[in-house]
Amino acid sequence: MSTPPIARRGFLKGALGVGALAATGSLAACAPGGTGAAPSKLAAPSASASSVKGEITIWNRSGDLFKVFDAAIGKFRAAYPGVTVNHQAVDIDAKLANTLISGTGVPDGSFWDDAKIGGQAEHLFDLTDLIAPYRDRTAPYKLSVNTVGGKIYGVPWDLDPGLLWYREDILEDAGVDPAGLATYDDLVTAARTVKEKDPTTKPIHLDKDPFLGQLWLEMLANQQGTSLTDAQGKLRLDSAEYRRILTWIETAVKDGLVTHVPYLKPADVNTLDSGQQVFVPWAIWWSFAPQQLLKRTKGKWRAAPLPAWTPGGARSGAMGGSSFVIPAKAKNPELAWLLYEFLCFKEPGYTAVYGPNDVYPGGLSTSVPSFQPALDPAKPLFEPIEALGGQDLWKVAVEAAATIPAAAPIPWWWAQSVDYLGNNLQRLMEGKMTPDQVIAESGEKIQRNLIDRS
Amino acid sequence: MRSVRLTPYLFVAPFFVVFAAFGIYPLIYALQLSFMRWRGAGAAHWVGADNYLYLLTSPEFWASLGNSAVMWLLIVPIQVVAGLGGAVLLANARLRLRGLYRVAFIAPFVTPLVAMAQVWIVVFDQDHGPVNYLLNLAGLPDVGWLTSTVWAKPTLALLFLWKTTGFAIIILLAGLQAVPGGVYEAAALDGASRWRQFWSITVPLVRRSMAFLVVVQTLAVFQMFAEPFVVTEGGPYGSTTTAGLYLYEHITASDLGTGAANSFLLVLLVFGLSLGAVRLLRPKDEVS
Amino acid sequence: MNPTRPGVAQYVLLTLLALAFLYPIWWAISSSFKPAAEIITSPLSIGAPTLDNYRAMFADVPIGTGFANTALVLAVKGAMTMFFCPLAGYAFAKYTFPGKDLLFGVVLLTLMLPTLVLIIPLLLEMSALGWVNTYQALILPGSIDAFSIFWMRQTIAAIPDELIDAGRVDGAGEFGIFAKVVLPVIRPGMAALAVLTTMNVYNDFVWPVVAVNDTSHQTLQVVLATLAQNITGNRIGADFAAVWGELLAAGSIAMLPLLVIFVLLQRHFINGILAGSVKG
Repeated sequence: MSTPPIARRGFLKGALGVGALAATGSLAACAPGGTGAAPSKLAAPSASASSVKGEITIWNRSGDLFKVFDAAIGKFRAAYPGVTVNHQAVDIDAKLANTLISGTGVPDGSFWDDAKIGGQAEHLFDLTDLIAPYRDRTAPYKLSVNTVGGKIYGVPWDLDPGLLWYREDILEDAGVDPAGLATYDDLVTAARTVKEKDPTTKPIHLDKDPFLGQLWLEMLANQQGTSLTDAQGKLRLDSAEYRRILTWIETAVKDGLVTHVPYLKPADVNTLDSGQQVFVPWAIWWSFAPQQLLKRTKGKWRAAPLPAWTPGGARSGAMGGSSFVIPAKAKNPELAWLLYEFLCFKEPGYTAVYGPNDVYPGGLSTSVPSFQPALDPAKPLFEPIEALGGQDLWKVAVEAAATIPAAAPIPWWWAQSVDYLGNNLQRLMEGKMTPDQVIAESGEKIQRNLIDRS
Repeated sequence: MRSVRLTPYLFVAPFFVVFAAFGIYPLIYALQLSFMRWRGAGAAHWVGADNYLYLLTSPEFWASLGNSAVMWLLIVPIQVVAGLGGAVLLANARLRLRGLYRVAFIAPFVTPLVAMAQVWIVVFDQDHGPVNYLLNLAGLPDVGWLTSTVWAKPTLALLFLWKTTGFAIIILLAGLQAVPGGVYEAAALDGASRWRQFWSITVPLVRRSMAFLVVVQTLAVFQMFAEPFVVTEGGPYGSTTTAGLYLYEHITASDLGTGAANSFLLVLLVFGLSLGAVRLLRPKDEVS
Repeated sequence: MNPTRPGVAQYVLLTLLALAFLYPIWWAISSSFKPAAEIITSPLSIGAPTLDNYRAMFADVPIGTGFANTALVLAVKGAMTMFFCPLAGYAFAKYTFPGKDLLFGVVLLTLMLPTLVLIIPLLLEMSALGWVNTYQALILPGSIDAFSIFWMRQTIAAIPDELIDAGRVDGAGEFGIFAKVVLPVIRPGMAALAVLTTMNVYNDFVWPVVAVNDTSHQTLQVVLATLAQNITGNRIGADFAAVWGELLAAGSIAMLPLLVIFVLLQRHFINGILAGSVKG
């Protein structure tokens, strides 16, 4: 839920830790390590809120998000007066994986990218039983990425629905009704209409960053209920769903309908502000662009649900996201669970994070909670956004989020696969590869260099 | 020279103690690891030569060597020629401001690499870097210095050249200053042209320094890591994934056995290249 | 050696070259004092100086910690290099002893060993020793390096044997000769070694990235390398120009100590290299 929620460099750093220090545990003998042991299962503490006592160390990302959580944790302290929360700002990408494996200085709980959890499950508490009461009311996508081998390892935190961001004024001039953009074919048609009206436009944003491009591709795949691998880790790139997305990209590129620029770099900001870009299908966290980066077109952008791939299909997919994990070596795991239960599943908790606060006076609008009772279109947690012409982004986002299908745990090698799939996707966007080539070549490389090497 | 029984061993011992602890031990361990499949956690198992076979049949492995080879071609020949040119210009005893020029040339050598690599990102930025700004002023279009597969390697090579050519000049200058001035005077009296003096006197006499330079820079180019890691992360499209960076990618992918195997292939290559360079550039009068 | 007076063309060429070498350094430093937005909009101008980039950078990254850690590593590692490497170089240059060629061969061979080769196993070793995130992990591996020994051997080999024998006649012990006769003579070489070692330690990047993941032990180079990410990761909507401004500020500050050391020692440094390089 920062922006972007995961950076490639972060992945490199984290993965380095895994590769590097993972090694430590079993170095001496190169003997079969401790993977055979069943993961520890965490049970709910039985004492009541007023009687629990103890101290926990909780890690969060540094920066603005830390301040937001710090305020929310204040509310938790009020509800559980016996619990002392030692809230620390930590470079989690660099540090958590190493710490889990080396087993020293382990926190009682930590914020973590969903993409990292699957690879580290053996070091985390199995939270299946604790989450059971909330399971039916949690976004299926978040459950699916946190479930490894049928067990849940992360407390599902934010949901990052994909939305269609568009220039309201330009669509109105061109006579395009945004409400009519029901499928991606409609989107291409609308883009053509816009371009006919003003030939200098290249209406649709395609991202030039290989990592974010692949993350975006996964959003479009998730929208169709699939993802790069299934729950068993088997590659499912060679499928009608991926082919549909890639073919759509190819068409848009061939028709000259795309602006291919790196995410919010100057080339992107300039063409967003100049009116060259009209449609940005992207996660909800793009919302900060009109609020903070786009000077000339502030107030002219709006959000709508993504178009569907097939008529009547899901109108959103997830792009990024994080959850909370409780390390198997935590000293007070029960208390950490109480905190995360409070933040994720209790109204005062999630309201404190997403509602208006000192850092974000209008509330935190870069994601929504994944706990469905919180997602009431009529009861917004964050306020309408001035930079979106006062649009009620909350309503659009939660309605879109409700349609996001389940996916599968994100494989540990996902970031590495950007060298193949992410790069080939760029080649497709540059007109140098066909959809079939992207699928065949990326699939072969991922299989040989990543899956088969596991 | 004298021989005193224990003293010299004591004097060299600290190096060998440190080397045994942090060189030989890990080296042996790495050799063992290169025959294993190990992801860092859990069981490691023996896979024989599989890691080596995997690498030798991987297009990515060969591509990384190819990228390093191109970097070598972009760097070493240019540096030898430019370094020699600079050294010859500076060697003139009647040159004024000699010290100032020397300082100017070697200053980049003492800048921190990571900091300068980041400056490179800014200077060669496609949209707002000063280089493209200048091109635009001259009416020329933007160049994707770091974003096109054509230009990324030369731009990184330029960083390397900019940083180390001053060092090359000094090394070659050392060789040149060993040339007794009288040799030139004699040659001039014999009526030899400046070019002929250069080719028949200067070049042969700095051969040793050149060999040293070529070996040192060959090692450096094939191990080049921080430049692509910081500036391009190996992109675009893997075009700056050098041998060193590709090796590092195994570590980030937790594929430690393959990483170790890749290390040894790289050692063999670097070793072979250095020996080759030494042999080619060795002065003809020497035997071993 | 070349007796002809250099022509105007030679001066012009040298001056242009010198400017080309210095310009990126000047550009980085001067731009770091510009308002961030101007770095992007008018990259070649020199505007009213401001410290905004520096203020923002100090607030965003633990660069002070980076400096302190680098200084500590430099002090210890530098001291070890400056003592043990001339000592070993002296033994290789001026003693004959059984196995000398073999041992020196090992030193030369390790010169060709890429650092990256040892990264994985060395890291495992550090873990086994419980040394991850410690100063000894940053300092000890490579603390007495082959290149410096090779360099010192070259330098010391040029000292006339008579000088050393004279010391012996005066009754100095073996170590006394090293300390009282050899070291004073090779001062320029030591100055060069000091600059080279400072640079190597200061610039060392791969090993510190891997051996330390704890912010409190990060060296300056690691802090620099993660700076851009820390800025964009910590602040939603950090804009591009601001990131550049902070990058240039951090880079300029990082350059400063090395440039100062170099300017102070440059004569010795260059003469040391001239004296020590491959002639012997």
